[in-house]
Amino acid sequence: MPPRIPCRAHRAACPTPTAAVRCRTRLQQTRFASTSASAPEIYDVVCVGGGPAGLSLLAGLKASPTTCGLKVALIEGQDIQKNRLPKDASVVGFSNRCSSLTPASVRNLQEIGAWRHANASRIQPYQEMQVWDGVSDARISFDWDTARSLGPRKPTQPTTIAYMIENVNTVSALLGRLEELGGVDMFASTKVDAIELGTDTEQLDLSSWPVLSLSNGKSLAARLLVGADGANSPVRTFAGIASRGFDYSRHGVVATLDLSTAGWGGPDHKIAYQRFLPSGPIAMLPMPGNFATLVWSTTPERAATLKSLAPNDFAAMVNAGFRLSPADLEYLHTLPSGQAEEVAWREKHTPTNERGLPVRVTDVQAGSVASFPLRMRHADTYTGERVALVGDAAHTIHPLAGQGLNQGQGDAAALVRTISHAVQTGQDIGSTLALESYNEARYAENNAMLGVCDKLHRLYSVESGPIVGLRSLGLRAVDAMGPLKGFFMNRAAGGV
Amino acid sequence: MKPSNSLRAIRPIQRHLTAPSYRPTSARPVLRQAPLFASATTSASPIRFSSTASSPQKEHPKSTVDPTEVSHFNALASSWWDPVGPSRLLHLMNPLRHTFISRCRAASSSASPNTNLRYLDIGCGGGIFAESAARLAHTASVTAIDPTPEVLKIAEAHKRRDPTLAAPGKLTYINSSIEDLPQPQTPQEGYDIVSLFEVLEHVNAPGPFLEHIMPHVKPGGWLVLSTISRTWTSWLVTNVMAEDVLGIVPKGTHDWAKYVNETELRDWFQGKPGWGDLKTLGVMYVPGFGWKEVTGSEGWGNYFFAVRRAE
Repeated sequence: MPPRIPCRAHRAACPTPTAAVRCRTRLQQTRFASTSASAPEIYDVVCVGGGPAGLSLLAGLKASPTTCGLKVALIEGQDIQKNRLPKDASVVGFSNRCSSLTPASVRNLQEIGAWRHANASRIQPYQEMQVWDGVSDARISFDWDTARSLGPRKPTQPTTIAYMIENVNTVSALLGRLEELGGVDMFASTKVDAIELGTDTEQLDLSSWPVLSLSNGKSLAARLLVGADGANSPVRTFAGIASRGFDYSRHGVVATLDLSTAGWGGPDHKIAYQRFLPSGPIAMLPMPGNFATLVWSTTPERAATLKSLAPNDFAAMVNAGFRLSPADLEYLHTLPSGQAEEVAWREKHTPTNERGLPVRVTDVQAGSVASFPLRMRHADTYTGERVALVGDAAHTIHPLAGQGLNQGQGDAAALVRTISHAVQTGQDIGSTLALESYNEARYAENNAMLGVCDKLHRLYSVESGPIVGLRSLGLRAVDAMGPLKGFFMNRAAGGV
Repeated sequence: MKPSNSLRAIRPIQRHLTAPSYRPTSARPVLRQAPLFASATTSASPIRFSSTASSPQKEHPKSTVDPTEVSHFNALASSWWDPVGPSRLLHLMNPLRHTFISRCRAASSSASPNTNLRYLDIGCGGGIFAESAARLAHTASVTAIDPTPEVLKIAEAHKRRDPTLAAPGKLTYINSSIEDLPQPQTPQEGYDIVSLFEVLEHVNAPGPFLEHIMPHVKPGGWLVLSTISRTWTSWLVTNVMAEDVLGIVPKGTHDWAKYVNETELRDWFQGKPGWGDLKTLGVMYVPGFGWKEVTGSEGWGNYFFAVRRAE
């Protein structure tokens, strides 16, 4: 029996799809004149979800001469155009949803021609990373100068660890590239009402093809249905693929911060900071100018307290988060207000080396404080008959290493390669055999990254005892060994 | 390994050793003298093409089709397209076939066009290669033939699952042996690519069989095939390991005595005027890694072979 997924039957205000120019192709020579209005329109790839992973996949397919002939569609519930970053957006305010793009992700975006469509003035590369233990103060600093490779350092080697970019900037760049390439049927502000398997008619047997009923009344049959539709992926549910994991009972608090200066290294040498507290890591990541973005993983109760604070108290709490002891912080979270004064007083009695800490937060951008629950999820497999999952639909990761969006970009690039090989060798791109290589390429790698981030979270949740000593020893040992550090940094940069 | 299995596997070898035509003094005597590579006129005993009730009961004295092979593949028909079924190794090998063909075509300095190619796939089975060839951008049409009616039913049913293949004239299946397929009126009406994948090891008389196929190749076109060398290694790998021990190939799929060596094919085609550009590629299945190119393995295992008809 074909599984049927009833999705929210939300009628969009404007059901007319933004029809893109269609690229006539060899793979769509087949047109079946059917008198029945309900006959689905046949597509090679239907991507549900217009986030960074889905858009990267479509741009990758359209940018390659091998796959640009595929007939593809994008279905996105939101109004894509409305959420775009204006081309002339001023560099004063930043969205609170930012990501740290690895050089590997950026290279892929460059290869598919999307990176040049990004608003470069709103992207901040950073060259150094300071990570320390909130309990023992053991510290590791990452930068390409101390992370010596075994041979002499080549001048061509990158100095950038990663690029801070607003998700809206990434999405807008990909949309800009897709507009330039054309050939994608965009169904924006359109919901998927149902996904069910097609039928066996006289001419065609679509009984293995997913057929999507859209809120605009259209019906699409997909040779390959790509679920880029987030953690609660309806596509994954349709495919009957289970996703396993757990909730960390932690929330990630995000905010855009105003800083007193551009940072200790000035505008040309930006530094990211992360301090592991027993309740979760607090991270401050540099944005252009005197701005930074905050990701503070903490208990849901503390997250609620932080969100309720006045801007000056919130700023004081972030400064405290990088400076004061876990005991001080515990007390500060019990206060309903007045953190600014309390922190100022306590800081006088806490010796700190300011050069090793982020410069002070002076204010928080109005309306930028938000929180989301932290989860770890991994789908049992990324592929099924005529189904592939990318991004959060396949995996949800703890944000402590900033790998979530990068994993999605890696998925998209790998799926483009798999589809490209299938097209070159005449395989049905939706067949499980053709999709096998995608699962093989990504599953183990993502699983390892999910595991590492999960273990790090657990390791640093411990407040006392021998584990604190051991982890501090480990951190200091890695810090002292240039080549080992280089290895970790290469891995973090997306492997070289 | 059960004793009965090894006995069954050894039978074809004994048959060879006791064959009256076997002359141990010659370097490569077996197929030269044996009826396998005899000319069409001195072909093997008549074979009735009557393996199943649904097939036409007709006498075909010249057919190279082995009726026991036809019934073997009839039994396998239903699982042909199961990605983890008995035909998995063939599915996995399929992309490599296209890689080999592309390489052959790229290497030939020919004026022949790169689009609107016409394919003839002989022994198409469930259509693994035929479907994939029909999906390629440069393909005009694929004609695919097989003497086994049950697998062709599977092929037809599977074809309906892909709108690209269902386009009129794109992919045509014919239940026929090569002997019954009408020959082209003029050489130019031949096919750009005639493929014969994993078939040669299943026919009774490769020589006459190839003679029937050659007129279908257009001048400038290619005859591309894959098969297995008849060596101790291939016997051990394909008959004993793959079928009996690992069970990754259905039992009874291979009869080692029918295997044809790359050197035999090479010598045979070198004696044919108007045929050249011989190309080979040895491939090996490595469990866990898939099919891999192994230089030199054409001498002892699975290999691709291509020969071009002069323009």
